[in-house]
Amino acid sequence: MPAPSSDGLLAALSNDLAAAVDTVGRSVVAIHARRRIPASGVVWQPGVVVAAHHTIQREDDITLTLHDGTSVSATLAGRDPSTDLAVLRMADASAGAAPAVAPATDAPRVGQLVLALGRPGASVTASLGIVSAVGGEWRTWQGGTIDRFVRLDLSVYDGFSGGPLVEAGGRVAGINTSGLARATALTIPAATVSRVAGQLLARGHVARGWLGIATQPVRLPPALQRSLGSEAEAGLVVVNVEPDSPADRGGVLIGDVLLALDDRAVSDPADVLAALGGDRIGQPIALRVARGGKAERLTVTVGERPRARR
Amino acid sequence: MPGVESLLRGAPALDAALGELAERLRRVTVQVHAGGRSAGAGVIWLRGGLVVTNAHVAAGPRADVVLPDGRALPARVAARDPRRDLAALAVAADDLAPALRVDARGLRAGELVVALGHPFGVANAVALGVVHRGPNGGRGLGGWLHADIRLAPGNSGGPLADIQGRVVGINAMIVGGLGIAVPTHVVERFVHEIETGGRGGVRAA
Repeated sequence: MPAPSSDGLLAALSNDLAAAVDTVGRSVVAIHARRRIPASGVVWQPGVVVAAHHTIQREDDITLTLHDGTSVSATLAGRDPSTDLAVLRMADASAGAAPAVAPATDAPRVGQLVLALGRPGASVTASLGIVSAVGGEWRTWQGGTIDRFVRLDLSVYDGFSGGPLVEAGGRVAGINTSGLARATALTIPAATVSRVAGQLLARGHVARGWLGIATQPVRLPPALQRSLGSEAEAGLVVVNVEPDSPADRGGVLIGDVLLALDDRAVSDPADVLAALGGDRIGQPIALRVARGGKAERLTVTVGERPRARR
Repeated sequence: MPGVESLLRGAPALDAALGELAERLRRVTVQVHAGGRSAGAGVIWLRGGLVVTNAHVAAGPRADVVLPDGRALPARVAARDPRRDLAALAVAADDLAPALRVDARGLRAGELVVALGHPFGVANAVALGVVHRGPNGGRGLGGWLHADIRLAPGNSGGPLADIQGRVVGINAMIVGGLGIAVPTHVVERFVHEIETGGRGGVRAA
């Protein structure tokens, strides 16, 4: 076969991009749940649309515009501010919008050519760019766990949040949002979207573990380190214990210095959040604390964070 | 159709193709000077000396045009329509190679597009982007072509073209970071109105 001309290469790339927009665009809907221009969402499974939590500003009277222009009403199945995800159920699951093609499971690569799609109105819109940074699991400032850090070098326009990040080959790598970081577009990876959407569909919220303590970082003086036989230079002093909380029942006292959870040293309140995933609810967790200059071990049964504290 | 991965392994060939594309556009793009300074770009539309640019680029009755071959010619503003942000410049030349055009209403979101212009006084700078949303046939900005592409003021009046170098629009403004172009079918109608004696918003200047 003769090599395609360079002209043909460009045309083929252009065609692939347009075809990816066309295919995935059929699963991209407009979400009317705020006063300004509509936001975007992706049909993730039949009758279920994933959106960016921050774009859903009212919980009643939500309508969707599908790719073929039909309008469908939807109800909010649940939302998780910590990952900026929300899930909507279409009133008519048989409405003509197929779920997005199989989500990508492998990590995006730096430099990979990607498209961000949106539907801030009747037509699908596209922007082209590259993946600029990929990192490991990270926690949002509200304590949500995102499986992978994915930053884009790509222009995002009004109404793009909730739209898909599409690999040039046509697979959906995740959901884009401007709601998790200032002045930059991030992608919530498909694995995180599927995990959170599953929990939201099952219980309407994402359950998180809870001890019922408030802590502040403190330095451990060398003498205390020696008497504890500990290398750690910092711990977390307990400044509040909620009455009748798991920590209260487990014997944690105000003034205890938390040194480790499950034998992993803690020195930042975020370390505590990280140890309290929804899967820990009902399970015992081992606390190592300094009390009166001596190390003690306590066992606390992790509770579920009350919804008002979410 | 080859996958994108294999396409990107052909990156040097892509570079060459983009270079050829930019050269093809350069041969139909002019510089427009008004009031002694560079005001923007224009596109050669008719062999007999008709150049299309934006109304906001050719704000007065006269302008000066630098052709792709370097000739500098005085131009008369033959027609101007601020509503469509279009102006037609007449230059004394009958040997110009007009731009190839194609109807922008056939574009699909995600298709590659290329813009040529003179942003910040840099002659014939090229930009690559994609169709953000094609013209929807409506009035107002919705009826124009929206491109995800990095433009600057000197791109005004210059061509936005598809990946084969066919002009799909005249770059007119930047709104919220998007490049907004007057689609070719609107330009063709404007030029047709001039040729048939003027109608609608077209005023001979």
